[in-house]
Amino acid sequence: MNASSNTPSVTEEVQQKPMKQNCEHHADCMKIIQAILDDEATDAEKDHFRDNMDKCIPCIESYRLEKCIKDSLQLKVEKKPCPQNILNTILSKINS
Amino acid sequence: MSVAMSETLTNNEYTDDLRYEVFNREFMPHIDSMYNFAFRLTMDEDDANDLVQDTYLKAFRFISSFEQGTNAKAWLFRILKNSFINDYRKKSKEPSKVDYQEVETTYNSEEASDTTYTVDLRADAVQELIGDEVANALNALPVDFRTVIILCDIEGFTYEEMAKILDIPIGTVRSRLHRARNLLKEKLKSYASSMGYDA
Repeated sequence: MNASSNTPSVTEEVQQKPMKQNCEHHADCMKIIQAILDDEATDAEKDHFRDNMDKCIPCIESYRLEKCIKDSLQLKVEKKPCPQNILNTILSKINS
Repeated sequence: MSVAMSETLTNNEYTDDLRYEVFNREFMPHIDSMYNFAFRLTMDEDDANDLVQDTYLKAFRFISSFEQGTNAKAWLFRILKNSFINDYRKKSKEPSKVDYQEVETTYNSEEASDTTYTVDLRADAVQELIGDEVANALNALPVDFRTVIILCDIEGFTYEEMAKILDIPIGTVRSRLHRARNLLKEKLKSYASSMGYDA
């Protein structure tokens, strides 16, 4: 922590660290981001995510996008109930 | 109903009563998910109906190879996917004429090997899309890419379960999923743009 001599407030300290505008290993980061969202990340991937994800703008945006797509697939895509006649046919065939 | 029917029974000890019991308790609760999977694979209601029926009848016939206590949903999905490949794939109405092998080869090739491949799409644009638009983008993917997204993002299977359902290594699940998501982003982007959203 390099606390500033005049105004050591928390917000200013955070602001002093410049956010990364470009990610030089974004393809690898994308794999980690997807593994995190899929709940399949290794411990090393989780550590990397925790330590770095708030410092890199492309990665933050990618995380938001990937999460948004995943949520849309889970929540917005319509799930139809299986038609009753299929159920009836199956049950009548296995009971015959 | 037998009192002794519990997890202690091994797979070959299915009595007639137990077959029905397991069928109803373990298999029937997944019928809606199975129907939706069948529909998204075949893109046709009649084919989906037949595929679900065939799968459940096969599941009943081969119930003694289902090991109680293991994941019934994954077991059923694997049967359905195999039936689809063997019986329906040839006649299914693919929205995309792109051959899967060709797509996979393209995406496996060196220049496309994930290095700097990103689709420029904003989360806010995706947020604006309605369910049908997201479904259309998904349906526009070649079936093998569509499948991994359905299994992972809609049905919530783990990579390991997906590997078993699809008979492919986990590494292939990961990479296929990664490519499928890039393709999906392209489709979503063109939907969002065509809707006039700032993609």
